[in-house]
Amino acid sequence: MLFLRYYLWIAPHVLLVLFLVRSLRRGLHRRLPIFFSFVVFEFLQFLGLFAVSRVIAPSSTEVYRVVLVSGVAISTCLALGVIYELADDLLFSRLSLTGILRPLLRWSAVVLLLLAAVACATLPGVGVQRVANIFQSVDFASSLLKTGLMLCLFLFSGALRISWRSPSAGVALGFGIAASLELATAALRAYFGKSSFIAVDVAQMVAYHIGVVVWLVYVWLPERAPKFAGSGLPKSEIEFWNHELQRMVRR
Amino acid sequence: MNLALVLAVVGVLALFLIIYLARRHHGGEGDLDALAAQLRPIDVDAFRNLIDEREEAFLREQLPGKEFRRIHRERTLAAVEYVKCAAQNAGILIRLAEAARRAPDPAVCAAAEKLLDNALRLRLQAFQVVPQLYLGLLVPRTALAPRFVADGYDTLTRQVVMLGCLQFPTRGMSAAL
Repeated sequence: MLFLRYYLWIAPHVLLVLFLVRSLRRGLHRRLPIFFSFVVFEFLQFLGLFAVSRVIAPSSTEVYRVVLVSGVAISTCLALGVIYELADDLLFSRLSLTGILRPLLRWSAVVLLLLAAVACATLPGVGVQRVANIFQSVDFASSLLKTGLMLCLFLFSGALRISWRSPSAGVALGFGIAASLELATAALRAYFGKSSFIAVDVAQMVAYHIGVVVWLVYVWLPERAPKFAGSGLPKSEIEFWNHELQRMVRR
Repeated sequence: MNLALVLAVVGVLALFLIIYLARRHHGGEGDLDALAAQLRPIDVDAFRNLIDEREEAFLREQLPGKEFRRIHRERTLAAVEYVKCAAQNAGILIRLAEAARRAPDPAVCAAAEKLLDNALRLRLQAFQVVPQLYLGLLVPRTALAPRFVADGYDTLTRQVVMLGCLQFPTRGMSAAL
């Protein structure tokens, strides 16, 4: 079990380094700069936590928790930035009617934030220490926000029939999988209390590991355009349909 | 306690939903001819008649209240079907335009970009119009729907008319329609 926990703690961050290298080569840092910053921060946070737990203050769990809570808070802010960036890349960049979708996403975030606040206030505290409770609240609220916003993003794209391109699609999928599993496990932590800490930690690390692997796979695979069979639309047909649609949407 | 369990279940459901939607988004491969064959015809004149205010006023004057409400309900539901049909066509055109955007001819790419933009607009408008139509069905001419009754109904009508302008040519790939 100890080996598994160490593996799940260290391995995803080793994979993150590979991901960063590959991303730099593919120019992902220019296309998704906030996501790139998020990944860099995740790696630095891991280094910091590892150093605190093994070198700086191996006997003090309090220092570790304070660093962890601060890290989760910063990571959440960056994650929200990543979701906005994904929305921009996958949805808004294709639409001239972003005026409709932007407020929808914004209001979804507001509703989710309210939900998270209510849920955090309602959920039972898991620890006697304040830091542990703050961590639970931040972790839970962060998971709920991320999951909700990623779902909105997927639903909006699905409703509009927009097909996604890798690697943005991979980033979104990895984010969505990790966030939803984190939400489920964060809620279970609140339900089962202190006795479930280790199991929930392992489950969250597994979720994160899956997310990182999905990112790595998508960034490693060559970007491929969707394949279509058939002759498709000739230019004259495209112009005709374009004219028809323009008539329909003209105010 | 129970809230925590509910949220855990929500998390798991969200996971499955995200994976399902991601698979659908990624299913970018397809047969263009089969897609084009899914385009459904819209009888524009009939649709225009359905959402014609004067027609509605005429029916209101001529028919007894109960009969008018029944007819109004049927007409609105038919209009909803037309809008849904137009939205579905727009969805298909989005896929076709996405494929056409990769054409080597820059003129085709530019035309496809415009088509994509317009199809997305139409689909967004359809999502706005359908709930409005259902709302008008539930609360016709009541203070609960001031947008419909006062000044908004005109806007709605124009929106639906715009959606109804989809005319299928009897040529090329749409010959079957």
